Amino acid sequence: MRKQLLKLPFIFFSITLLIFFYLLIVERNPSEVPSALLNKKIQKFEAKSLLKNSKFISSEEFGKKIVLVNFFATWCKPCRDEHDYIKKISDEKNLKIIGINYKDDSGKAIEWLKKLGNPYSNIAIDKKGKIAIDWGVYGIPETFIVNSKGIIKYRHVGPITNKIYKKIRFLIKEIE
Amino acid sequence: MIVKKIFIIIVYTFLAQLLLNGSYAVEPDEILTDQKQETMARDISKNIRCMVCQNQSIDESNAPLAKDLRILIRNKIEEGKTKEEIYKFLTDRYGDFILLKPPFKLSTLALWFLPFIFVLIGILIIYSHNKNFKKNK
Repeated sequence: MRKQLLKLPFIFFSITLLIFFYLLIVERNPSEVPSALLNKKIQKFEAKSLLKNSKFISSEEFGKKIVLVNFFATWCKPCRDEHDYIKKISDEKNLKIIGINYKDDSGKAIEWLKKLGNPYSNIAIDKKGKIAIDWGVYGIPETFIVNSKGIIKYRHVGPITNKIYKKIRFLIKEIE
Repeated sequence: MIVKKIFIIIVYTFLAQLLLNGSYAVEPDEILTDQKQETMARDISKNIRCMVCQNQSIDESNAPLAKDLRILIRNKIEEGKTKEEIYKFLTDRYGDFILLKPPFKLSTLALWFLPFIFVLIGILIIYSHNKNFKKNK
């Protein structure tokens, strides 16, 4: 009985060690927080549009097609890095890309899009970061996929890499 | 003499650390004029995690998002929202992770009870070990 009991800490320590190494090996971002908004309907919002003279009204933009929502800013270096992938995604059919320009200078943002190309069909200006809070955003760039019913199906924190680009393409087809 | 000096430096460093721990990031323009409302805002902010730094509360963090959330909480208090409504607003968007103190739920039962279970197992092992040791003696 005594010997068996003494084995307990050893077993416990071995299991802890195994879990620790498994988490080290498995590919994950430990600081990434899963979105609380997955499978929930998006919050309605209105804002100034960066591209159009009319207001950006969310109910007019969502709920018809699959929408890829991208929070970006010109001061954010990773946003520039992922821009080519967003342009590639914009080639997909039955998909619309909406940008949320986060705490940025609108003039600079327009210049940026002229220079790098504009994959967005409309862009909402989020000067004070209120839209970002409503979407649970904590560090741009962040990208969401919203289905044709206006429900959030996917969220990615950080720049879109080749791997994420492939994942997004796969998810778009799956959601369709 | 040198030992005494080193001891004094250590004591002062420790005291400075204690004082710094009590510091907070709220800026003067954020503070509400109503003292009661400001106390409520500070109470809530102390329990809200800064999603950028993750180990600090928004009350202590200088991150821009922490400032945005402090202002948002104060605006909600001025609108007459209760503590529960503000916590719900934040957890609806950022999940329970935004709370520094995890809520007592079915999914967090292990988090709350495992430490006690481990202590009990430890006591059991020590008790059994001592009993057998005395027997063998």
